[in-house]
Amino acid sequence: MQSQVNWALLGLVIERPSYAYELARRFERTYEGVLTLSSVSHVYTALAALKDRALVEELPGTRAGRQPKPHYRATPKGLEDYRQWLAAQLDEDLRRQRLFVLSLSTFTRDPQAALEVLALYEQACMSEAQSIPLAPRAEVCANGAPELAARLLAEDSRLALGAKLAWVQYARRELRALPDTQVLGR
Amino acid sequence: MSLLELRQVGKRYREGQLERTVLREVSVQIDSGELAIVWGLRGSGRSTLLRVAAGIEAPDDGVVLFDGRDLADRSEEVLGAGIGYCQKFLGSGSQPALEIVMMPLLAAGVPTAHARARARGALERTGAVACATRRTSALDTAETVRVALARVLAHRPRLVLVDDPIQGVDLFERDGILSLLRSLADDGIAVLASTAEATALSGADRTLALTEGELRGAPQQELATVVALRRPAGRRASA
Repeated sequence: MQSQVNWALLGLVIERPSYAYELARRFERTYEGVLTLSSVSHVYTALAALKDRALVEELPGTRAGRQPKPHYRATPKGLEDYRQWLAAQLDEDLRRQRLFVLSLSTFTRDPQAALEVLALYEQACMSEAQSIPLAPRAEVCANGAPELAARLLAEDSRLALGAKLAWVQYARRELRALPDTQVLGR
Repeated sequence: MSLLELRQVGKRYREGQLERTVLREVSVQIDSGELAIVWGLRGSGRSTLLRVAAGIEAPDDGVVLFDGRDLADRSEEVLGAGIGYCQKFLGSGSQPALEIVMMPLLAAGVPTAHARARARGALERTGAVACATRRTSALDTAETVRVALARVLAHRPRLVLVDDPIQGVDLFERDGILSLLRSLADDGIAVLASTAEATALSGADRTLALTEGELRGAPQQELATVVALRRPAGRRASA
């Protein structure tokens, strides 16, 4: 399954079984700025796709009544597949980083240009780290799961940005050490 | 006029026959109520930058201005009062934190009862009043930082300089320390901190990178543009 929306929706169903409209609202709150639904009906399509793959199932008895609201819960297969997809995201991050590094290395004959790109990258990393909100632990504990998720996300971002900033220093030193002949070959 | 200004500051150390340049043409201004954080790896010149900014060390080139006046003429006058340089070393460890915070006040001639009240108030301000009667050797790293900051704040400084405030601090305690620095700036104190960790950049008004003695920090507008170019507004995905 390729769709990020479908996987994200599966995550929400795992978090708490629910019906389409509520899932759509929760989706918007949780993934704001990261993933976008084309419309609420997008959730119905996604739930149908998840059901076809036996990743979610309807909760018995939730279609009854004048306004039936079928609730969905994750199947054991849904839970297992979601865990595997989550773990695979790390590979995706590593691939993206590798692509950036390989793209930068095309500048080996023009170290000055590479250094300029690095300076922009460094500034962007620092600005990103600066914008991550502070969350003292006591407040996190007091407010429960949403704050915990925000805290985990913030810490993941900050640690990753720290590693990138350290890498920029290393790359800068490597580029500055390149022989002058390569600079002249621009 | 900025509270602290470094203009084209250079600093070199002689090691035998060799001369090592630690700071190169560093220029930066810090205003009251601003939290500025300098990021740099070990050996980048972070600690030297803070010591020079505090007037503990004189620059070899350039000038350091505090409140518009050259710090070289009056570093002893302002260090400890107008400028608070936070040192995490709290002595032998046998004394209670309250005494550690009181000591510089007593040395400055503040009467004992008054010094005790100010020290307790500073410990409350940094969230370390529970440490008041504990020996400093029994404090964890986060508590040590809070007590060290209290020792500085007891003098009611206008500028606080902190070298590596979260170094060695438990991951869960870091944001508490950073929030404290943020709150000092919100109270109108100028805060200049250094760090080797990106974690410490959160909540800063300004971040600067120090590499091999060169300070870089693009104007905020330029940074915002860079980030806006990098960050997608939101991914649209198909089912």
